[in-house]
Amino acid sequence: MRITVKLIGGLAHRFGAGEREQEVPPGTTAGDLLAALGISDPRTVLTTRNGWGIAPDEEVAEGDRILVSPPFSGG
Amino acid sequence: MHGWTGQILRVDLTTRTWRRETFTEEWALTWIGGRGFAVKILYDELRPGIDPLAPENKLVVAVGPISGISAPNTGKTVVAAKSPLTGGYGDGNLGTRVTEKLRKAGFDALIVEGRAERPTLLYIDDTTVEFLPADEIWGKGTYETNDWIYARYGKGAGVLNIGQAGENLVRYAVIRSMEGRAGGRPGMGAVMGSKLLKAIVVKGSQPIPQAFPAEMKALGRDDMRTVHALDQKAAWSKQGTTGVLPWCNEVAALPVDNFRRTHHPDAWRVDGERLAAATVAVYGCPNCTMQCGLAMLDTERRESELDYENMGLLGPNLGLFDITQVATLNYMCDDYGIDTISGGGVLGFYADAVERGAAPGDIRFGDFEGFRRVLTAIAQRDGEIGNTLAEGTLRAARAFGHNSEEYAMQCKGLEVSAYNCKFIPGMALAFGVSPIGAHHKESWIISYEIQQTPRESYGRDKAQKVVDLQRIRGGMFEAIISCRFPWVEIGWGLEHYPKYFNTITGRDWELEDFWPSADRIYALIKLFWLREFPDTNRRADYPPHAWFDPANADTEGPIAGRILEYDKYDELLQHYYDIRGYDDRGIPTRETLERLGLASEARVAEEYARLS
Repeated sequence: MRITVKLIGGLAHRFGAGEREQEVPPGTTAGDLLAALGISDPRTVLTTRNGWGIAPDEEVAEGDRILVSPPFSGG
Repeated sequence: MHGWTGQILRVDLTTRTWRRETFTEEWALTWIGGRGFAVKILYDELRPGIDPLAPENKLVVAVGPISGISAPNTGKTVVAAKSPLTGGYGDGNLGTRVTEKLRKAGFDALIVEGRAERPTLLYIDDTTVEFLPADEIWGKGTYETNDWIYARYGKGAGVLNIGQAGENLVRYAVIRSMEGRAGGRPGMGAVMGSKLLKAIVVKGSQPIPQAFPAEMKALGRDDMRTVHALDQKAAWSKQGTTGVLPWCNEVAALPVDNFRRTHHPDAWRVDGERLAAATVAVYGCPNCTMQCGLAMLDTERRESELDYENMGLLGPNLGLFDITQVATLNYMCDDYGIDTISGGGVLGFYADAVERGAAPGDIRFGDFEGFRRVLTAIAQRDGEIGNTLAEGTLRAARAFGHNSEEYAMQCKGLEVSAYNCKFIPGMALAFGVSPIGAHHKESWIISYEIQQTPRESYGRDKAQKVVDLQRIRGGMFEAIISCRFPWVEIGWGLEHYPKYFNTITGRDWELEDFWPSADRIYALIKLFWLREFPDTNRRADYPPHAWFDPANADTEGPIAGRILEYDKYDELLQHYYDIRGYDDRGIPTRETLERLGLASEARVAEEYARLS
């Protein structure tokens, strides 16, 4: 299935900017996506699916848009 | 005493006199410093009901026990007074060399009283205070003023100054320093202006009293290196706070068109990646390890320092998506000495009111030139619109009428920071119960709420988290004083701060030992407001009506059809009051006040209002 992944903030400078569409097998979790990016500890980032928070053990679905952000404490 | 100089400098601009006053170690340990010192002084010394722009108001400049020490991000100072914008307690912090210099001149706080006869520059050093003419820079912007001061006192001097907005008593004028730093959103710049005080210059050379100076020097040096290394790894400083903009856009929390919308397809044009690509210089506060002042060139080729708040509120909130135009409005705010959050909030509200037929004018969202003209009119209080908008969103709404108060995006009179909480209950609560009005610095619960809780929940856990964050951010960090950025952004643990505090003061405090002081500070701020507004009720802790209006719900996107609900918000607010030990008006009970050691302050409050 195809999903879209976008990294923002400092992560864009570490792992590359821009949105990327990618094919993932069914059963892929948010944690799996992060691990594939080299982010071993999901607690160190904010991850959303279609604008809502997603837990590391939740599976992604066809057409999902996943955004991964470093932690922030405000502007 | 170690950790504090034990001295306060009191200056009277009317009589052109000054004196040193002392405080005890017990007083220092009770109020810590910064915001704690400020609210205690203002509560004790200000008569309720005074005009905040009259000579009777006092400006407090206060530092904390770890201020100015060479350790990560300890370069901040608190400025406080009765707010001309809200009528309640107002304060803010800013990075400035005043932090270190005031301590080295021998003071932990400065109290400025009265009103000068003519524009004045207040000069302070180890041995003297001088009241110098400032006619030459009166009427000048903050950049030119800063240059003028640097040319005379050197770049190493501590400087606080105001621009034309402060001089003209714009109620959300800020105090500025080091060209790019600003603080005191609720009109601290206007308080300076009302006193004809253009600038404060501080030089000091004495050692800061510390229990273990050699150990602190080594600890600070090592930790500065470590945090620098962490930041490089995290790459945070490449975008600074503007990295959060695409996240807000994604989760439907971005203010667009006076908070009418929560996201926009063009938001990427004003995000952190665009700023990083355009950055020409990076600035920070003294002792900063993670500089957030990313400067780019504006439409006039001037350096303009952008962060998330000004990017959001002077950009999408005004329907502007050209980053150089945002930079221009930001430069203008900085030069006039206008708070960029309130400035963006007021401009957005005005465009909204015009569009809805509630206010005169032809401004529209996206009208860059129009916003430039209005911003200049505000700073100069030029014409009816300039004058009305210089009063802030709430007063302007009351002047415009036509129910415009319903979409005036403010709490307690202070404009909302750049987080659109149409469907983010915990963050809406954080704005509602912020002790200076709607400011994000007290309890930025939004990322925790989106990531770790059911967004739609109004549960007690969210109220508890707001309290927990208030204790850390609005309590400890505002009192000791330190910038919060290393903590969350790069994971610099909170355990480091008691370590600095103990090494400097010789105490043996754990992190939890700060919470009673934090709660005491919040409770006394509440009493300050109560004396000013004795008939207050819980409605004062409600966020703007627009976040509850079903007609204002998004029609598409992540939160389509969702909006806050009044009855559920009220339950969430009650959880907050219960945790805090406040009554159903949101006022600390007598029992709570006594537990926090505020019995005498409670008796004073009871002369003006009822306590439960």
